Amino acid sequence: MKFIKRFYLGLVLAFLYIPIVVLIVQSFNAGKSRAKWEGFSFRWYEELFKDPNIMNSLIVTLAIAVLAALFATIIGTFAAIGIHAMKRRPQQLMLTLNNIPMTMPDIVTGISLMLLFIFTQVERGFVTMLLAHITFDVPYVILSIMPKLKQMNKNTYEAALDLGATPMYALFHVILPQVMPGVITGAMLAFTLSLDDFTISYFTTSPLVQNLSTLIYSQARKGIKPTMNALSALMFVALLLLLLVVNKRTAEEE
Amino acid sequence: MTNFKVPVWGYWIMGIGFVAFIAMLIAYIHKNRGFRRPVFASPYVLWLIVFTVIPCFLVAYFSFTDPQGNFTLDNFKNFWDSNYNARKAIAPEDLKMYQDMGLSLEDLGLARDSINIDTLVFSLWMAFLCTAICLLLGYPAAHIMADREFKLGPTLVILFVVPMWMNFLLRTIALMSLLEDGGLLNTIFEWLGIGRQKLLNNIPAVQVGMIYNFLPFMVFPIYNVLNKMDYKLSEAAMDLGCNKWQVFYKVTLPLSVPGVVSGITMVFMPAVTTFYISRLLGGGKVQLFGDLIEAKFLSTSLNEWNVGSALSLVMMILILLSLGLLNKVDPDNEGGGMV
Amino acid sequence: MEEQRLISLEDIYKQYDGTTVLDHINLYIRKKEFVTLLGPSGCGKTTTLRIIGGFETADSGRVIFDGQDISGIPPYKRRVNTVFQKYALFPHLNVRDNIAFGLKLKKMSKDEIDRKVDYMLDLVNLKGYGKRGVDSLSGGQQQRIAIARALVNEPEVLLLDEPLGALDLKLRKEMQLELKAMQQRLGITFLYVTHDQEEALTMSDTIVVMQGGRILQIGTPKSIYDEPQNAFVANFIGESNIFPGTMIRDELVHFCGADFPCVDSGFGEDKPVDVVVRPEDVLLVGEDVGQVTGTIKSVLFKGVHYEMIIDAGHSIWKVHSTTMQPEGSRVGLAVVPFNIHIMHRMEEEKPREEAKK
Repeated sequence: MKFIKRFYLGLVLAFLYIPIVVLIVQSFNAGKSRAKWEGFSFRWYEELFKDPNIMNSLIVTLAIAVLAALFATIIGTFAAIGIHAMKRRPQQLMLTLNNIPMTMPDIVTGISLMLLFIFTQVERGFVTMLLAHITFDVPYVILSIMPKLKQMNKNTYEAALDLGATPMYALFHVILPQVMPGVITGAMLAFTLSLDDFTISYFTTSPLVQNLSTLIYSQARKGIKPTMNALSALMFVALLLLLLVVNKRTAEEE
Repeated sequence: MTNFKVPVWGYWIMGIGFVAFIAMLIAYIHKNRGFRRPVFASPYVLWLIVFTVIPCFLVAYFSFTDPQGNFTLDNFKNFWDSNYNARKAIAPEDLKMYQDMGLSLEDLGLARDSINIDTLVFSLWMAFLCTAICLLLGYPAAHIMADREFKLGPTLVILFVVPMWMNFLLRTIALMSLLEDGGLLNTIFEWLGIGRQKLLNNIPAVQVGMIYNFLPFMVFPIYNVLNKMDYKLSEAAMDLGCNKWQVFYKVTLPLSVPGVVSGITMVFMPAVTTFYISRLLGGGKVQLFGDLIEAKFLSTSLNEWNVGSALSLVMMILILLSLGLLNKVDPDNEGGGMV
Repeated sequence: MEEQRLISLEDIYKQYDGTTVLDHINLYIRKKEFVTLLGPSGCGKTTTLRIIGGFETADSGRVIFDGQDISGIPPYKRRVNTVFQKYALFPHLNVRDNIAFGLKLKKMSKDEIDRKVDYMLDLVNLKGYGKRGVDSLSGGQQQRIAIARALVNEPEVLLLDEPLGALDLKLRKEMQLELKAMQQRLGITFLYVTHDQEEALTMSDTIVVMQGGRILQIGTPKSIYDEPQNAFVANFIGESNIFPGTMIRDELVHFCGADFPCVDSGFGEDKPVDVVVRPEDVLLVGEDVGQVTGTIKSVLFKGVHYEMIIDAGHSIWKVHSTTMQPEGSRVGLAVVPFNIHIMHRMEEEKPREEAKK
């Protein structure tokens, strides 16, 4: 019985991971074939870095991820501190609103933002994609800081005021240092999500400004090239590492 | 399109306005001794209004207007009858002319048609199947991992959590490359003597892709609930004379309902709304509701934003309904579904 | 007397979501006084403290500090410091930086800060702990740091919000004495909030008993214990027997089926009153000479004394005595007039703020 259980679990995990593992292995295949192993090589990785399109998208992806994480962390940190100090009812309202971008399917978020840009006739491109990314990142930043704020002794802020600190001083010298781990987790999560996103980027950018995900999609529709395998493999590994770190941090915080 | 147009300097004003707002806020904080911390949330409140609340209303606004910005219900009529707009666009004289030529609406490809509603029903069916299969596959997996005697459980569950956050597009592509004609699976088939099979560009491929992508969303919430459940409950049940099977369906199963509901919503919602899975694994031959919406917005020939908005609104309502259901069954979000 | 008033609360009213928490409070605190706000949880004592500290604002009424209205002044500009319930030490700073927090904000020179912090560490017996993280300290030590952090700023008033609530009994007793000694040595006004009546009786110069957002009684520990103004105060402060009775005339009260001579007067004739008799004030005498007779229902040994429950027909008496009578025996009960306290009935009782001051 025990064996059957573990075998079953193994099967499910194999179903989830075999495609990824195969893809990564294939990316090191010297030949073009997806079935025949023609020797180990970095050939596709080299080609990857020679492709100006891909390099361009890489820069866009990283720039968006860094900027979105930065802005989302700043906005989200202040917002979390503000929401935490609110009375019950406005707090409930804010948390509900904050949940909207997280519970809405990406396609709806993407389309609604796209309509906003169409309506205001903003040309879609780098800036609109950045705005969209900040929008879906902030809720997660808030979500990673909230527990830290709840753990914090509420009176420490008041104690700082009591000892003569202005609210600003108390914020930067008492509250922020205490929630810093949550802020860092939030920033990392925002960066990861931004790197990870496809759907919302797809609707909020133009074909001229592409991040890696939208580039991969447009290429994959025509069939998979080996360089795409290499690119996907790289992204898998990067995302996996980031996610494991974020996961470990959140687990430790709880 | 509406005549609403923001000139270039408008963006400057908006940008400067936002910066000015922040500056005023800081000045206010410095000066006002009665200042309270909730004020810190105000930039985000502004952000939420502009980038979350207004866009939602815009979807509704576009659903009920025509390209000229007049109120209309045509977008929804079009939902029931896909050629409604096209038929309307033909001038009556032209129609008469065609009829005189002996061409019927069918010949013109303008007959009553229900692609939209059919696609929605098909999408719902696919999502339902996907959810049911994920539940059947996922519940046992979650149950096995939540077993207290299975020491590896808490570690293995991370393997289910990571894909929940991982780019679905990439994972779909990984699956696609495995299933391709020249892919590994077909090579194995050939080697086994079964011969190559057509594994891509059909409905089962899309279904497998959906299950592959969304299975972790079923496993995790169920695991969460089962793991938090007091194991003494099942001991108490056994003490009171239940056998293992009775313990399961009299204690464990009822108590895991919140996790199951969480899982169902979390699988069903993305399954209804996906578009790239069907595009990549269905090769354009399988159309889901998401594809329909995507086409209305992004295909260069159509640009039917208003029709697309109406479809999106229908989807939003569907999602709100299922979220409402989730809240009713699992008000404390015990399943941890909403991450 | 007026110049001695350091803090006055004038007609303070506060409500949360429609529930009144402070119902027109009037109170003043003299310089160098140790005042305790005493009452059950939810009586408004902590809110009163927080209004003085500046963390909450009253809906109406004024807070006068040293002759000035400070109602709108934020906490960081008030000359009071607070010791919080769970200490609220800054977890990211070490002991020394915690204590120096307020001094650094005053832009004091480093030497002066060091000198003052060292003095404070010495005062609270934590010399050599300066570099330690606050989380590594015991509850009692954290408590001392919290006090040091507040006192180092030389506030004119120290507000203490149940500061000993998280400590165990033995440590609490020690800290009570230490706090009282510190207050007398430094000559600082203490405003202390607690729900522990024993703590209040031990430490305070003045006790303010609060309930349901009102002040029930203000007085010295002795006067509050000996002359509670109503059944609630009597019950809250120490154990007591409370009987409904009738004031027949001045200095004669009827309760438990007998007439008792007493020392109170001015209640009028044939007026319903509440009568308080402390258990230790009841004398056990022979059945034939008692004012009331009863049967001993139970006897409990309490260490210093025996606690006996006596059934006297229509009333139950709790009696503390150093001599024991066996269960079931018939005894007589007597109370000397001086130990009978007559109070107005609770329902008719309006809190008489400042009555005693």
